[in-house]
Amino acid sequence: MDFKKILDSFTWKPQEAYDFSIAQTEENNHNQEENVNPLENRKKIVSHLDVNLEYIKTRFNTFLNSDIILREFTLLVHNKPYKAFLLFIDGMVDSNLINDFILKPLMLRNSTNTFQTQKEKNISQTITNNVSLRKVKKFDLAQYISSRLLPQNSITEEKEMDAIISGVNAGNCALFIDTLEIAFDIEVKGFKQRSVDSPNNEIIIKGPQEAFVENIRTNTSLLRRITNNEQLIIENIEIGKVTKTKCALCYMENITNSDLVAEVKYRLNNLEIDSLLSSGQLEQLIIDDNQIGVPEILSTERPDKTAKHLLQGRVVVLVNGSPYSLIMPATFIDFMSSPEDTNLKPYFANFLRTLRFLASIITLLLPGFYVAVTSFHQEILPTELLYSILSARETVPFPVIFEIFIMEVSFELIREAGLRVPSPIGPTIGIVGALVLGQAAVSANIVSPILIIIIALTGIASFAIPDFSFGFHLRFFRFGFVLLGYIAGFLGISIGLFVYLSILCNIRSFGVPFMAPFAPAINSKGNGYFIPPIWKQEYRATYVAPKKEKAQDHISMKWKYK
Amino acid sequence: MNHSRIGTLEAICLILSVIIIRTVLSLPKAILALTNSASIINLFYVGLLMLLLVYMIYRFFQKFPGMDIIDVSEVLGGNILKKIVGFIFIFYFIVSSSIFLRNFCECLRIVYYPSTSILFVILFFIIALCATNYLSFNASLKANLIITPIALGSIIFLFVANFRHFSPQRIFPILGNGIFETFVTGLGNISSFSGIVFLYFLPPLLKEPQKFKKVAITSVVLSVIYLMITVSIVLFIFPYFVKIDEVMPLYSAATYIEFGSFFQRLESVFLLIWMLVLACYLGIISKFVLLIFRKITNVKDFKPTIYPVGLCILAVSLFPKNYAMAKFYETDIYPYLMIGIVCIMSFLILLLASFRRKRKVGDLD
Repeated sequence: MDFKKILDSFTWKPQEAYDFSIAQTEENNHNQEENVNPLENRKKIVSHLDVNLEYIKTRFNTFLNSDIILREFTLLVHNKPYKAFLLFIDGMVDSNLINDFILKPLMLRNSTNTFQTQKEKNISQTITNNVSLRKVKKFDLAQYISSRLLPQNSITEEKEMDAIISGVNAGNCALFIDTLEIAFDIEVKGFKQRSVDSPNNEIIIKGPQEAFVENIRTNTSLLRRITNNEQLIIENIEIGKVTKTKCALCYMENITNSDLVAEVKYRLNNLEIDSLLSSGQLEQLIIDDNQIGVPEILSTERPDKTAKHLLQGRVVVLVNGSPYSLIMPATFIDFMSSPEDTNLKPYFANFLRTLRFLASIITLLLPGFYVAVTSFHQEILPTELLYSILSARETVPFPVIFEIFIMEVSFELIREAGLRVPSPIGPTIGIVGALVLGQAAVSANIVSPILIIIIALTGIASFAIPDFSFGFHLRFFRFGFVLLGYIAGFLGISIGLFVYLSILCNIRSFGVPFMAPFAPAINSKGNGYFIPPIWKQEYRATYVAPKKEKAQDHISMKWKYK
Repeated sequence: MNHSRIGTLEAICLILSVIIIRTVLSLPKAILALTNSASIINLFYVGLLMLLLVYMIYRFFQKFPGMDIIDVSEVLGGNILKKIVGFIFIFYFIVSSSIFLRNFCECLRIVYYPSTSILFVILFFIIALCATNYLSFNASLKANLIITPIALGSIIFLFVANFRHFSPQRIFPILGNGIFETFVTGLGNISSFSGIVFLYFLPPLLKEPQKFKKVAITSVVLSVIYLMITVSIVLFIFPYFVKIDEVMPLYSAATYIEFGSFFQRLESVFLLIWMLVLACYLGIISKFVLLIFRKITNVKDFKPTIYPVGLCILAVSLFPKNYAMAKFYETDIYPYLMIGIVCIMSFLILLLASFRRKRKVGDLD
């Protein structure tokens, strides 16, 4: 008798450690190309319904996929039954549409499907030497079904399996009928989606309060409604071998430069990726690489801003599933502009624009300047201010670089935490973080009060920049300037600034210099940094080389000046 | 649009950038040392001569459309002369930039970094130079287009802000040391227009070559005005040879600026701007060195030569033993170098090449 086994049964033993890993062999990688699903090689729809059904079942894996619905039924045409099946994805279609406008007309006996007529229609008949010659038009089942039995507005006959499957994945339903070598792609989309709402991230006071949503068709309709012109071209492009994400390339045919459109199309059509899930992904895939991550495409959730750029001769790309449009090309000025500018008088708009420019300089350079001044160039400060800074820093045990990094990293942490925490306590985190942490840090002599002012000012300035990506880019690079300021004061900052400026001047967004119209100096015809009065905005920006430069008449206020 | 071409404004700023960096160093002092209170008149006179010279350069280049001085020297003396002239210009660019770099860094060291090695200060500029050389040809030129107007603005601001410290009577005696010194000996001040060296390379680089004349004349006129302003600042503020013997005369003038009791020491802001100008100037110079090198050696990929060019400038800038020697090179050697290479040698090449072309055309006729 094995006593050890008996004893062991009373003791607890941990399970063997769970260690899951995927074997990564070179062979696996090499064979990836060869392991293509053999089903995908079959392209055509065949006339045997059972073959098509088997193929669909296998392709969609209906044994595992619970939302794939295959509805088999028999339909009547000229009182003759035909086997058929419908394929759709539950949750993506409107069931009422399927019931009332597909299944009912096809299945129920009614005057149309029971109507008995000659199947083969005589077109002409001639008798020569007692031989009767008849010209006959053969009965076309597909045509009969689509024109008589399916009261739907959008039906496409498809011969390819891939096209049908793509439609089903997009929310359509497919109708396969025995004896037919085609299938019907019927639009019955009915999935739940967010309705058009006010913008969350680009709020303005004066102006429209509509924002893009996730549905591409809703977004294109918003653009159509604003531009209100048939010259707006919206081309469909599918990106992603697996997701086949629908993208819309929008431009004004009579305004936008054809080369620009061709370039954007070329880049979009030459993306070999499996999936495209957002406009942010697409942005990274189609821009020229720059060393410092400057955004080269404007991203906005506002249809009015998008339409304004469309009418200026830019190209817009919409991605299905993303409530942001991508506007290209983009220059430095575009990142300093807000949709609010259009609705304000020019001097107010220019004042705000200058303020934003100042904000970007503060965001990028202020902490670095503080470090440089306190470490190397104290003479720039008036004696009283210098004394107060020195006395405030006297009790701080850390060097200024450490002090500033503590606070900068803390600020970024508060910002990031404020975004991640649930919305009811989000503002609380910000207030607690900013006030309590700052106050406590000063009281504990970890940082000096003047530094809190510097960090707060930098933080506030970074949020004054209209474009999130550009603001983020500046926030990131301020750490570099802090380091340069600490190493060599103004010398370090000026060298960093020169390299930074040179890189900015080197960037081209879809062929347009990023710093245009300043460097290179281009006569932008009233599209420079300062916004002219609306009656003076005669021309479109010359640096995007629009087909039509003139935007309005020389005298636009004809009621006043004739 | 050709991305490596230079616009009209970019070309003008390119020529001005050299003069700005020289005035920041010791050019106003050198001009005043030569012509005293007659410096403004002398600058006007030298400016007129310079206008004549650039007009002749323009006329010569009209005979060689789309060619720069290297191509013209090939026309004149074949491949050998092309290589010799190319290497002379490379030598000129490297030596001049190194002298300015060393002097500027010495001044910076005296003002802000007294205990720091000069190598450390110079290395900052060399790193920037190498980093920007990896960018496209006109990235530095475009950056210069932004920085030069700021630098010009800073000088105008310096002039306006110091207005109350001006003693206009210092312009007397109006002819300074005398007519001969002003108009004959003072011809040496022609070396102040060192920016015109770029005119010899601009024709094939300009976006609109027909605007070469405009570029040449505008840049000389702007240079004259700019030089007059900077010389006026030094002349009207400082008594002769009493205080202008300081590190950088314009920097000294900047220390006089004060607005109320809060803004009393703004000179470091000026230095920040001038450091940007120097970095920009070095970036441009190295781009031109690479351009000439590529032209005379026909190398396809210039990237491997970026670091050697940077190292050359670093090595030559470390060559003077001390600040006094560096200053000696700047004030006593460089002007001869400039006049010899830019004004005489290049001009002679253009002149002889045009004679040769004329004779060839005559023979054909």
